[in-house]
Amino acid sequence: MIRTSLPTRFLPFFSNASQRNEGRRLRTGLLVVAAAVLAVLLANTTQAQDKNMKKMLMQLQEMNQADGYLEAHRDVENPPELLGGPLSFAVEQNSGGVLVGLPDQRELDSDVFGTPEMPLAFTGTPGVTGVPVPFREVENGQFTQLDRPTPFGNKSTAMPSGSMMLKAQDVTATDAATTEDQVKFKASWEDKQGNTYAVRCCEMLSAAGPEFPTFGGVVTNHLLHGFSGVGTPLMPTEYTYAAFWGMGAVLKNGEVVDKPRVVHGMLTEYVRTEGYELASDSEVTPTRKHFHLMVAPFMPVKGEHKFEHNNVSTGFQLPNGKELPFWHVMFENLNIESQRGE
Amino acid sequence: MSLLWPTRIGRLAPQFLGSAGLLVLWMGALATPAVAQTSEEPAVTIGMTNTLSFTKDTVRVEVGETVRWENSSVIVHTVTADSEEATMEESMRLPEGAAPFHSGNLAPDETFEYTFETPGRYRYFCVPHEAAMRATVIVEPAGKG
Ligand SMILES: [Cu+2]
Repeated sequence: MIRTSLPTRFLPFFSNASQRNEGRRLRTGLLVVAAAVLAVLLANTTQAQDKNMKKMLMQLQEMNQADGYLEAHRDVENPPELLGGPLSFAVEQNSGGVLVGLPDQRELDSDVFGTPEMPLAFTGTPGVTGVPVPFREVENGQFTQLDRPTPFGNKSTAMPSGSMMLKAQDVTATDAATTEDQVKFKASWEDKQGNTYAVRCCEMLSAAGPEFPTFGGVVTNHLLHGFSGVGTPLMPTEYTYAAFWGMGAVLKNGEVVDKPRVVHGMLTEYVRTEGYELASDSEVTPTRKHFHLMVAPFMPVKGEHKFEHNNVSTGFQLPNGKELPFWHVMFENLNIESQRGE
Repeated sequence: MSLLWPTRIGRLAPQFLGSAGLLVLWMGALATPAVAQTSEEPAVTIGMTNTLSFTKDTVRVEVGETVRWENSSVIVHTVTADSEEATMEESMRLPEGAAPFHSGNLAPDETFEYTFETPGRYRYFCVPHEAAMRATVIVEPAGKG
């Protein structure tokens, strides 16, 4: 029961091994009195640790670096337009497969995360805008990898019959209370058994981001992720030709299985390397593009400018029998069109 | 008669007949489709995988021999050694005098064949996965084996 003192929203990504071990230790301790006393002591320590961790994570959320910027923008009723006017674009994949990201521990790039002595990118909701230092593994004075799996790593699986269609307009330049941006998005793919998975967006666009800027819901020709402070630093810093954030739906075999969900899509330079490993900043390929679809295991907290952990119901079973708690899907056979104007 | 140019062959019969028919027209010959379909058995077959790789990193063939690529994955790939398609210098290399080749998009189960007429080292890649998916064919003068 010790674990429950830390609400799930403060256990970002997935539970980690050390918490499971503590539960086991407690059960064994109940067998003899001496062990029971030990267990009580242990429980107290763990409770104190959990309390400290909870406090630290709340502090990290509160000291999110984009708060001031967003505060200045989120109530603007007449936001400015893009320099040069609106941009319209379409991105399509008509056939072929997709590559689906699986839970993995992200290698930590020192360009993005600094060093244990001089850490970077640790504020905000863990996984959404920052990665707390205690979640990072250290070897020889350097961060090596995250101590828990996330949607951002080297593991993936190919799935057949992938198609996607994005038609969008970037009109509004900055975050604001309203937006003129527009997005029509649908994507689908299949598993080996012939089940169809799909994501649709957007019934609503993120006119202003809760924790990082979303530029009216659609952004074009911008740097995202990595050191940029826009989106998770667990993805490398990547030039993004177009991206959107909005509320959409997750479907399996034509039925909605999760709604509303934050859906994020982006057309970027190529950030995978040999073996489809996720690139570090120095490994990005600027001359190739791919499209990423992300339905992350996070939801915005109503009335507060932060996110909380919340697994996606995907209906897709992992080899270990658990449900994949997010969709991170890459489309790489693309037709792209764009033009100035609406 | 060997095919001295790249061919893209679908597994589906109608598609295959279609390309064979075109081939006959193009040659302006009155040969039956059976003639156009006659192709030397490929000296080697290379798969293209779901993990974005060619199944054989380096293969050796002789001049006049044919290599077949089979898209054994669910992902669309290409077989390309054409500077028009390349965006990175390291992704391809052709021996002096060798013609570029490019399969175009190969859907799952589609195949592509190329008969090598110029000896040397060919480095080729897959267009959408250029950053990750590259391999080599070494073509030796005929009659060595
Ligand atoms: Cu490929």
